[in-house]
Amino acid sequence: MSIIKVENLEKRFGDNIILHDVSCEIERGDIVSIIGPSGSGKSTFLRAINFLSPPTAGEVYFDGERVDKKNVNEVRRKMSMVFQNFGLFSHLTALQNLCAGPMKLLGKTKEQAEEKAYELLKTVGLTERANHYPHELSGGQKQRVAIARCLAMEPEVILFDEPTSALDPTMVGEVMAVIRNLSKTGLTLLIVTHEMSFAREVSSRVFYMDEGGIYESGAPEEIFSAPQKPKTQEFIYRIRSFNYDVASVDFDSFELLSGIDAFCFSHAVDGALAKKLRLIAEELVINIVVPKFKKCSLTVSFSDKIGRYEVTVAYPGSIENALDTAEDDLAAMMIRGTATQVEHKYEDEINTLKLSL
Amino acid sequence: MTITQKTEANAIVLECEGRLDTTTAPELEAVLLPVFDTNPTVILDFKYLEYVSSAGLRVLLKGQKKAVAVGGSMTVRNVMDEIIEVFEMTGFIDVLTVERI
Repeated sequence: MSIIKVENLEKRFGDNIILHDVSCEIERGDIVSIIGPSGSGKSTFLRAINFLSPPTAGEVYFDGERVDKKNVNEVRRKMSMVFQNFGLFSHLTALQNLCAGPMKLLGKTKEQAEEKAYELLKTVGLTERANHYPHELSGGQKQRVAIARCLAMEPEVILFDEPTSALDPTMVGEVMAVIRNLSKTGLTLLIVTHEMSFAREVSSRVFYMDEGGIYESGAPEEIFSAPQKPKTQEFIYRIRSFNYDVASVDFDSFELLSGIDAFCFSHAVDGALAKKLRLIAEELVINIVVPKFKKCSLTVSFSDKIGRYEVTVAYPGSIENALDTAEDDLAAMMIRGTATQVEHKYEDEINTLKLSL
Repeated sequence: MTITQKTEANAIVLECEGRLDTTTAPELEAVLLPVFDTNPTVILDFKYLEYVSSAGLRVLLKGQKKAVAVGGSMTVRNVMDEIIEVFEMTGFIDVLTVERI
């Protein structure tokens, strides 16, 4: 029997229908990542499942029992939620945050609750921070406390609502590591996330949400490598590419380079490869194309067709391979020494240089 | 990029950490070239430098030229393999005095 069953769920705010006729079943031990564009109802779906924002129609069953207003508190004890902004009690220490629920709702004594809390803080690497208040913790530490607090309630399911989206990139890894460890414990996890490489790695199933529902679902390999439906294909391609338009010579080169870094980070691109992608983009855009052609459009993407990363730079003008005519010999030399293949095309008065790695 | 200046034996050591690229090369240039006026023996320690682009190479070339002009020397030490690769593909390996990591 499924641990969660959703039947024809609808969620509307006034006339605005966010979710329409959504049905699915989650098996015990499933790790389901929920992905999709902003506004596609991912967080609303999680909140509807545990009645934080009750569905306007349809049914949710937990362990075979229909969830309603009467049993929702009982269900929530078994189905905890981790929020984007942690939701810790600011006037309580990390330890007290972990003990409050079990003492109040599970009838644990203070000693029992603290013993379990220390054990859980240890599993998330925060034993030393037990007596710190939330304002004394970093974002990543707060989120780890929030996860430990969920675990203190001994849930069967944890719902994660974009658990890393409020964190600095440097802190994302520590939270993902904790969730990764949880995924091996047999707990059922539903994770709304924008971290695609993470979703691909830890999930048993992926839901792609669009058009007010679960538009496509499948194993991570199916969704990320061979999506079947048009909107999934479009989304997966888009998230697997980085685009940057340069409109003048005074463009923001910091933004360009940090954008490439963020793309490589979120796609877990190997460090050496990431440096090469950055190098090609920097030399080609900043030192060769923009000084001469003033504007261009850069795309860094992964090509399924050839199984490699590609850097593509398109620029207007008459037919000219900017790499061949580059005044900056050093930059051109570095590009040729780094790329494995260089291809130049000219169509509709646009030159396109495609470099493979 | 972070640049830390130290003195070691008779040399001035500039420890560079991070990336030497279009956005950070001017920082190194501003520190490196004046150093030769106080001590002609300069060591660039790249132990924690992870990336060099052509903008960075140009600064290194200016440093090398300044070293020759003042009758001193510039050594680049503790260079990571990936940066050695860049030095090799551009011929800088023959221009600079390089000590691998």
